[in-house]
Amino acid sequence: MLTDRQWFFCAILMYGVSVIYSVFLWRKGFRKDDWVNYVLLLAGFVMHTTALMLRGFSFNRCPVNNLFEATMFVDWSAVGVYLVLGLIPKIRFLGAFASPIFFFLGIYALMPGLDHHDPDGEITKNWAVSLHAVLILVSYGSFGLCAVASCMYLIQERHLKKHNISAILSVLPPIQRLEAVAGKLLIGGLVLLTLGLALAPLIVKDKENLVFYEDAKILWSMLVWAAYAVIVAARWKWHFGGKRLAWCLIAGFIFLILTFSATNMMSDLHR
Amino acid sequence: MSIIVVGISHHSSSVSVRERFAFAESEIDDVLRSLTDRGLAQESVLLSTCNRVELYVSTRLPATEALHAIKQFLIENRQYQDVIQDEIYCHANPSSVEHLFRVASGLDSLVLGETEILGQLKKAYHLAMEMKFTGGRLNKVFQKAFNVAKYIRSNTGIQRGSTSVGSVAVELADKIFDGLKGRRVMVIGAGDTSEKTARSLLSRGASEVAVTNRSYERAEELAGNLNGRAVPFQEWEAEFEELDIVISSTSAPTYVLDRARVEKLIRPRKSRPLLLIDIAVPRDIDPEINELDNVYVYNIDHLQSIAQDYLEQRQKEIDTCEAFIKEKVEEVLGSLNPPGHAAKDGPMIQADAREAG
Repeated sequence: MLTDRQWFFCAILMYGVSVIYSVFLWRKGFRKDDWVNYVLLLAGFVMHTTALMLRGFSFNRCPVNNLFEATMFVDWSAVGVYLVLGLIPKIRFLGAFASPIFFFLGIYALMPGLDHHDPDGEITKNWAVSLHAVLILVSYGSFGLCAVASCMYLIQERHLKKHNISAILSVLPPIQRLEAVAGKLLIGGLVLLTLGLALAPLIVKDKENLVFYEDAKILWSMLVWAAYAVIVAARWKWHFGGKRLAWCLIAGFIFLILTFSATNMMSDLHR
Repeated sequence: MSIIVVGISHHSSSVSVRERFAFAESEIDDVLRSLTDRGLAQESVLLSTCNRVELYVSTRLPATEALHAIKQFLIENRQYQDVIQDEIYCHANPSSVEHLFRVASGLDSLVLGETEILGQLKKAYHLAMEMKFTGGRLNKVFQKAFNVAKYIRSNTGIQRGSTSVGSVAVELADKIFDGLKGRRVMVIGAGDTSEKTARSLLSRGASEVAVTNRSYERAEELAGNLNGRAVPFQEWEAEFEELDIVISSTSAPTYVLDRARVEKLIRPRKSRPLLLIDIAVPRDIDPEINELDNVYVYNIDHLQSIAQDYLEQRQKEIDTCEAFIKEKVEEVLGSLNPPGHAAKDGPMIQADAREAG
């Protein structure tokens, strides 16, 4: 019987095969589309889900207690959201662009030193902590897919601006659809992030000495929330969109992913 | 038994000759019956389109005799009295079957890989079948032709892409907008290509075409053809905010749309994409407009270059298609001619003036 980490490793392998296939599609100029990538990611997702369930049942809690689990969970939620979206024709092609993120997030999660198990941790004792972590991590997954859709938008937009026949021959969806998908993922992500952060007062209410603006993770979370909220507001009020929106969403996710671990380690609450 | 094809096409003759050999649907019954009554054919199918007229025949006559006789029949039936040089071509199997497969797959068409010919061939075949002019041999060969065409369409790139300016414009629009349904189009000026482009967009779901022209009467005329509406030339800017696609084809010597003007016009649109198709020479639309966010400008060179790229892609597929066709020709002839039969009757025979005389 495989352990949860071994199942997770198998899932990463499947995502890696998907990356190789995506490179093949890229070499063909993204002119070929089929169910291969979707099936590979689905197979990986099944293994990934098995890993999470084994983890959760073995520790009797939601598996979001440390950086390894959190990253694994973000990865899982991103794959899950993609698999739902990928049922729509043309959106399915998002997988070819998203698979490198799924793969490299998984590789990162498996790095040594991230998997500290704390049997007396908050997550074990407090349901609100689990829910808080799950909602926020799923929102990050959504932002990740948002960034992927934005990358696809920029590629297709460039082809169209350069009058390149790849604009037509590639199986990338129309740019308006890509922008719509990114927009919906953005709103979904922000809603989940808001709900997740809204649970924070419940979690910290008993912590008497907490000065929230001295905690790196809390400040960082507020910054991330504010950044995405501003983008949503700009979209609603001034119809902010097109290339600039795409770049903002990509930059936002890059910032998020590069600073997530560091701020966790700097936060007493989240370490 | 030989399978023969005798015909005339855009490859071998001009339209002035082809039109003399064209058959109306109402004539087909009489022609095929006459062919049969004269003992020239046991089975027959007549294909008559704007680019070709071809008689496919299964006959007991020796191939050379049949080819000559059917060619003569065609000339007499159409009462064509001018000199025939190379206009009429004749094939016997295996070339006749190979020709049929190539025609069905669009490899012999004016636009390589076009798909309309398959529908026309199917119609001609079904008509002949209903009139009981086909039998075991032609049924098998034609069914095989349709399967070959279907395979080639699905497994090669021979039919992929658009080769006309209008259909390239539609494909571009498909890559910009999330569906063409409900899109609003404006035609500035008038012209055959812009009308065809607008029609292509309408056929794919664009909801409304507005036409504007310096001459309001011309605008009304074109709008009438497109089931759209005419807009006075002084008022078209007011419509700009709601437009998705603009096709410009005026005879203006300077830009109808320059960058400064478009920058002002697109502000109320927020970030909705706009496709500008400039079919005019000299150009109506300032190419610098393409640098603006959410605006895509394609002129006639861009569209033709894409159409040409598609054609070149299709050209690359020819070898693959030809190899497949050869294989299937052997297969079907093998099934029609049991072992021991002399199945090969020679390649294509070109008619010449002496033979016609």
